[in-house]
Amino acid sequence: MGMNRLLVLALAVALTASAQTQSSQSPSQSQSAYRGPRTPGGKPDLNGIWQAMNTANWDIQAHSAAPGRIVALGAQDAMPAGLGVVEGGPLPYLPEALAKKKENFENRLTADPELKCFMPGVPRAMYQPFPFQIVQSTTGILMVYEFAEAVRTINMGKPTQSPGDTWMGWSNGRWDGDTLVIDVTSQNDQTWFDRVGDFHSDALHVVERFVPVSSGIIQYEATITDPKTFSRPWKMSMPLYRHVEKNAQLLEFKCVEFAEELVYGSLRRKSEQ
Amino acid sequence: MKHTRAAIVAGTCLMLAGVPVLAHHAFQAEFDANRPVTLRGTVTKMEWINPHAWIHIEVKEPDGKITPWMIEAGTPNTLYRRGFTKESLAPGVVIVVQGYQAKNGSNHANGRDVTLPDGRTLFMGSSGTGAPGDKPEKKPGG
Amino acid sequence: MTSQSVARLAAGAFVAVGVCLVPLRLPAQAPAQAPGAAAPSTARPAAPKPRPAGEKGAARGWTVPRTPDGKPDLQGLWTNATVTPLERPDGAKEFATAEELAALEKRGNRDEQAKADAERGTPAASTETPAAPARRNGIGDYNAIWWELGKKALENSRSSIITGPSGKLPHTPETVQRLAANREYERLHPADGPEFRDNIERCLAWITSGPPMLPTFYNNTYKIYQTPKTVAILVEMIHDVRLIHLDGSAHSSPAVRQWMGDSRGHWEGDTLVVETVNINSKRGYIGGGGGRSGIAPNNDKMKVTERFTRTAADTIMYQFTVENPGIYTGPWSGEIPMKATDEPLYEYACHEGNYAMHDILSGARADEAAAAKGKEKK
Repeated sequence: MGMNRLLVLALAVALTASAQTQSSQSPSQSQSAYRGPRTPGGKPDLNGIWQAMNTANWDIQAHSAAPGRIVALGAQDAMPAGLGVVEGGPLPYLPEALAKKKENFENRLTADPELKCFMPGVPRAMYQPFPFQIVQSTTGILMVYEFAEAVRTINMGKPTQSPGDTWMGWSNGRWDGDTLVIDVTSQNDQTWFDRVGDFHSDALHVVERFVPVSSGIIQYEATITDPKTFSRPWKMSMPLYRHVEKNAQLLEFKCVEFAEELVYGSLRRKSEQ
Repeated sequence: MKHTRAAIVAGTCLMLAGVPVLAHHAFQAEFDANRPVTLRGTVTKMEWINPHAWIHIEVKEPDGKITPWMIEAGTPNTLYRRGFTKESLAPGVVIVVQGYQAKNGSNHANGRDVTLPDGRTLFMGSSGTGAPGDKPEKKPGG
Repeated sequence: MTSQSVARLAAGAFVAVGVCLVPLRLPAQAPAQAPGAAAPSTARPAAPKPRPAGEKGAARGWTVPRTPDGKPDLQGLWTNATVTPLERPDGAKEFATAEELAALEKRGNRDEQAKADAERGTPAASTETPAAPARRNGIGDYNAIWWELGKKALENSRSSIITGPSGKLPHTPETVQRLAANREYERLHPADGPEFRDNIERCLAWITSGPPMLPTFYNNTYKIYQTPKTVAILVEMIHDVRLIHLDGSAHSSPAVRQWMGDSRGHWEGDTLVVETVNINSKRGYIGGGGGRSGIAPNNDKMKVTERFTRTAADTIMYQFTVENPGIYTGPWSGEIPMKATDEPLYEYACHEGNYAMHDILSGARADEAAAAKGKEKK
């Protein structure tokens, strides 16, 4: 009995060490040796509160630190530098789309849908600087985002189709071994990837892979295909970190109220009767 | 069976009380009772959005001029559950709208009664809109 | 009340609805209402009784399905759509007769509504002329096709969602006075800015998320996800998600006020009991006239207790008690047997497409400009 226990322990240590080695090697590993808690159905248990920790929401490509847009906000509004989350070279915009990106950039102080508290779409919801919660149950997966209380349901049964376009798209999910693969279609063309105007059309097709690589990290990658905007598919990847505070919970950031003055202020009654 | 107006009022009283007094989307605040409109126009597109879907039409005036209008409708979610999709109202379909124009003077009107030229209510019934390329009612997955 | 203020408060009825607003506000009886009991009221033996939790249902061999951790499974798609009103109509008994229920369902039936729409007159088959005289009263609202009140009265045969002897919201006299003052204020300031409109027009919150969760005109769909630590309720309007924490932890800090408060749940036998506090004042209160947050704020003292019991394959008995000292004379309770539905829940993005708010505000500005110019617009 004692020998068996030692064997099990040795195996556990070896596996953990192997997992740690794996996760520090290639960020786009599609499978991992990590075996964490499982759901009763035998799948990796991704329940919890997660958050990306990078500057992708500012600019998904590598970028220098830069001044902000509003003088009075000084350093608070300035953009931090980032190494980017896009794999490979610059985003492969088609020529007309590149011109549109430049136009978006010029107009970002008014045109970024995030300013108005519009739901961010996928993948931007995954790396905004707010936590999100994965609720994974026998009935499917729900992803709730603190920003604007955006939400999407992941259908884990037979794939289905959306009757119309939405802000958070239509997600069909399945397991590929221990990797959660989500296929996102039917997003409208109104969301951006970041604050510098990277955008897409309504032909956007996102395929995500969630690979748990340790108890506290999911390695996330998203492949973007949009033939109306980009000349070829491209991929972004980043770790998602678990919130481990004992009292961790999603709070409300119902920012519609905070964007009202911006959206409707010019229509306000000017003087009291 | 013809409903008397009193019965309808009583019915809606009960229904309204089921929804605590909310100034739900006060159409009175948006549209002008003194500006009724009857529009016959060709659909150019439909925005299947919330809180209201909007049907874009082009109305040909007697002098031949084309005037664009936007017609406010309800939540598309109820239509989706009845089997319609964003393909259900194709550009080119002619509709007739009885409604009221927006107070702000724009070419917005509420689509209180929207029919096809033969009088059938748009989206009512199980046989779709009857428009070219219309699909029979089926439930999209969810 | 002027017809304008009546119409402003109208919840999208087919015709003038002033008469409907009268019964909702009289606290004369001030009943001493006990908080809702766990078991459904059984005052009327002939009414179909929801089966108490844990008992076998009428369906042969039905037992409550359970999640892997042994708890009753509340998951799936549910609706609380009903033609039964929140408050008991004047003169109605607590439980309705079968005939009364049939009449109520007939009035609420969507297809019957459509017939009524048609009977108001068929539009001309073709007209090339844009302008034509109005052929009905009132600007109106939605045609029957947009409504989803459901066809059914509540399965518990009650005449109202609110339980108890009076079946009415027990507003304090001060609340009644404040509501009257609010209506006057709203009449004078209908659309000075977005915060002068109600929470639903601002795309902030509907009554469907609550708590308590009450039905509305359409999109009364809920999707429940359940793990050992969390029950998540996705509410179609306005893509709200209620996150109910089951880990035994205490409520979060009262310094953090939220539209849906902070919800903690625990199991009592086969009933999920959920307590919600820390609801912000902007939410307004039931019967507060639409939740214009600046005009009818809540008072930070609201507490809601809900009980969820799966009583049949297609039913969750939903019971709730609202406590709000200062707004109501005492707690009041309600009961809705929520029914399973196979009709999917779709995204309800609201603020993103809110042309209507723009038109409401700009319409008010146009009215003011015209009035200032001395032109008669009304």
